[in-house]
Amino acid sequence: MRDKPIIALAGNPNVGKTSLFNALTGARQTVGNWPGVTVEHKSGIFSLHNRHFEVIDLPGIYSLSGGTPDELVARDYILNEKPDLIINIADASNLERNLYLTVQLMELGAPMLLCLSMTDIARDNGIEIDAEHLGSHLGFPVLPLVLNRRLESEQLFELIGNLVDKPQLPASIHYDEVVENHLEKIWQRLVKTKGLGWEASGLADSDKAGHSYNLLIQSRWQAIKLIEGDPYLSGQLQPSDKQQVEKEIAAIAKHRGQEPAAVIADDRFGFIRGLVKDVVKRKKPGNWTFSDAVDKIVLNGIAGLPIFFAVMYLVFLFAVKASEPFIGIIDAVLNWLLVDQLGLGLASLGLPHWLRFMLSDALGGGIATIGTFIPPIFFIYISLSVLEDSGYMARAAFIADKFMRRIGLPGKAFIPLLVGFGCTVPAIMATRTLESPRDRVFASVLTPFVSCGAKLPVYTFLGMLFFPRKADLLIFGLYFFGIVMAMLTGFMLKKTIFRSDPGNFVMELPPYHKPTLNGIMLHTWHRLKDFVLRAGKTILLVIILINVLQIIKLPWGTNGENTPVLELGGKLITPVLQPMGVDKDNWPASVALISGLFAKEAIVGTLQSLYGAEETRGRGVEESRSQDGAYDNSLKQAFGSSASAIAFLIFVLLYSPCAAALTMLFKEHGTKWMLFAFGYLTALAWMVATLVYQVLAFSAGSLYWIATILVFFVLIYINLRNIGRKHAL
Amino acid sequence: MLFERHRARLRRWGRQFRGRQKTCPCAIDQCFSLDQLPQGSSAIIICNRNLKTIERGLYVGSRLSMFRNDSGEPNIIVAAGDARYVLDRRIAREIRVKVME
Repeated sequence: MRDKPIIALAGNPNVGKTSLFNALTGARQTVGNWPGVTVEHKSGIFSLHNRHFEVIDLPGIYSLSGGTPDELVARDYILNEKPDLIINIADASNLERNLYLTVQLMELGAPMLLCLSMTDIARDNGIEIDAEHLGSHLGFPVLPLVLNRRLESEQLFELIGNLVDKPQLPASIHYDEVVENHLEKIWQRLVKTKGLGWEASGLADSDKAGHSYNLLIQSRWQAIKLIEGDPYLSGQLQPSDKQQVEKEIAAIAKHRGQEPAAVIADDRFGFIRGLVKDVVKRKKPGNWTFSDAVDKIVLNGIAGLPIFFAVMYLVFLFAVKASEPFIGIIDAVLNWLLVDQLGLGLASLGLPHWLRFMLSDALGGGIATIGTFIPPIFFIYISLSVLEDSGYMARAAFIADKFMRRIGLPGKAFIPLLVGFGCTVPAIMATRTLESPRDRVFASVLTPFVSCGAKLPVYTFLGMLFFPRKADLLIFGLYFFGIVMAMLTGFMLKKTIFRSDPGNFVMELPPYHKPTLNGIMLHTWHRLKDFVLRAGKTILLVIILINVLQIIKLPWGTNGENTPVLELGGKLITPVLQPMGVDKDNWPASVALISGLFAKEAIVGTLQSLYGAEETRGRGVEESRSQDGAYDNSLKQAFGSSASAIAFLIFVLLYSPCAAALTMLFKEHGTKWMLFAFGYLTALAWMVATLVYQVLAFSAGSLYWIATILVFFVLIYINLRNIGRKHAL
Repeated sequence: MLFERHRARLRRWGRQFRGRQKTCPCAIDQCFSLDQLPQGSSAIIICNRNLKTIERGLYVGSRLSMFRNDSGEPNIIVAAGDARYVLDRRIAREIRVKVME
């Protein structure tokens, strides 16, 4: 027995594993009403009577076939770590489907406890389950729970303690007689010849002879997996065994006239059907539910799309309108506290001017600016959480499927893109729920087009400055433009490097849930905390770096005078950005874009810090502070026109994702795709921003730039097509 | 006398038939593919060779209802027990069903 026994939580997607994990460990993991909330296993500690258990929350899976990365994560964990107890969570309102995984876990010989979740929904649907009777068939206890409310934990805790100490052997499943005969032959051969090399497969463990993970059960499971055609186990067979095993499998296929994997699945369902018939009573015939009635409208061919756009627009409208009263209050309070009072306090201490400026105006001002972005981000996260918890996300994926197909992706890929509204990093991780590797890479490349929460402060800051009356429309327009650009890019990539068809689309539509206040606030809190911590850290670092680079001066100015390194660097990059409206005097904008590579929130902090410094240099600290909106005026003057501000915002929307997202791309898909995303997105951002600026501020020279951009577009397309001819996915 | 390269070619050519789907044991007029099941109808699955859907409960003998089937859309929605699935038409074509009266 381990010092800290391991309890693994396994079950179908969206049955409440994470809710139980949170209830056991007191953790605050995000839960949601859409398949794929957990894409990698998470661990926490559960304590009972001074005894500690390690609880593992596995991704939701339908089977142990290992068809998708999340299935592999769950399966590998169970096989390699051999948890002391598996708590299998099954949705009581859909027991038959959920028991399929239970049966597979039973075949593994794992010590188990079955928790029935959503018993309230089952009761509402007229389903009654005799849990005790079910447990007697399965060979281990079955406990009904309602996981989205306060957990009645005593019975559960007691069961966990007992089962870890005295694990119970699950019942074994019997297949068709002929299948059993061939299965027996494969099994015997594997045991006799040690065909799979027990050590190599990581399944033998002689120390735990008394444990239910014994060799015989494991080898029977291996024999079943061989019949199912498991590529990993088949690859490990000795050549002499392989021939014999293939002969037995062919005999099964001939006997049943089915693929061997389908034979096994059918027989498992045969066992399950018998079980369900015995232990489940239906008071009402299983007809259409409330969710079906709502779906008749929400998924309607005519009304579905307008409803979808209306919902998305309402999200942004709610975020902008609801946050308005709070922005002013937060701005006034934080500026008074962190800029005025802190500045006065530091002055009374007799600190030098540059240090006072750095601490109060730059750092305090930066924090105050970020503070004003908390309300819109908070409200946008609340809206997204309501959508996720209600079950609308999966419906949105269905509605979006028509467009997604046109760009060569299955509708399911829309869920990672929606997650991208929060942050690109989890969005890239969420692509793991897609079955095909091609779809995973393709969707990951498109996720940065969706404006993450970190871009919102930049849109709000410049939007309020240049278009104070139509800021909400501008912000919605930018979000929408990002989606349009994602579709255009997707369309181009489908024709060039992702030429094959998208993977098959099978997705469950979860029933609508009434979102709980606790769930929404937890979801929002997680995201908001991440934003505030990351923004705070980045702004602190960027502001320190910017001030240091402004202090260091080199005699490389236009007339040989000493010029700050930052200004020299900014002026070096600015000519490249000049065609998109960034004037040579607006070099702080170039520096802000560089800082945005670390985190997008840093763009605002950098602009404020640099223009604040300019103002202070021109007028002195006290004078500039007294003039309300002085920073804003100098920023407005530097950009010159609203056309250059729009072009700048479009560049921010489209250019390379932040360092964290690039790292995630590298981790998931390797260096090649990370570099592709960086290079392609930055080039595209420059081209589109230049095109927009040249059209909006049309002059004689604009034609030259428009023609140049069009030539660039054609060259990129030809180049990608040539790459696609050799290495198309 | 065949050269080794010809034998290899022949083997490769023969391999394409190895994985060929066996026909469904159901007369053509008795059953049809799931994507042709009209909206609102119920049916029993007669053949299904797609493991992904079998694992989700669309096994042979299970009963399902067509919740939504618009020929202009790439997917259909079926109700199997208490679950609702969005299925790609390509997958739906692999599943043969018999309408329940």
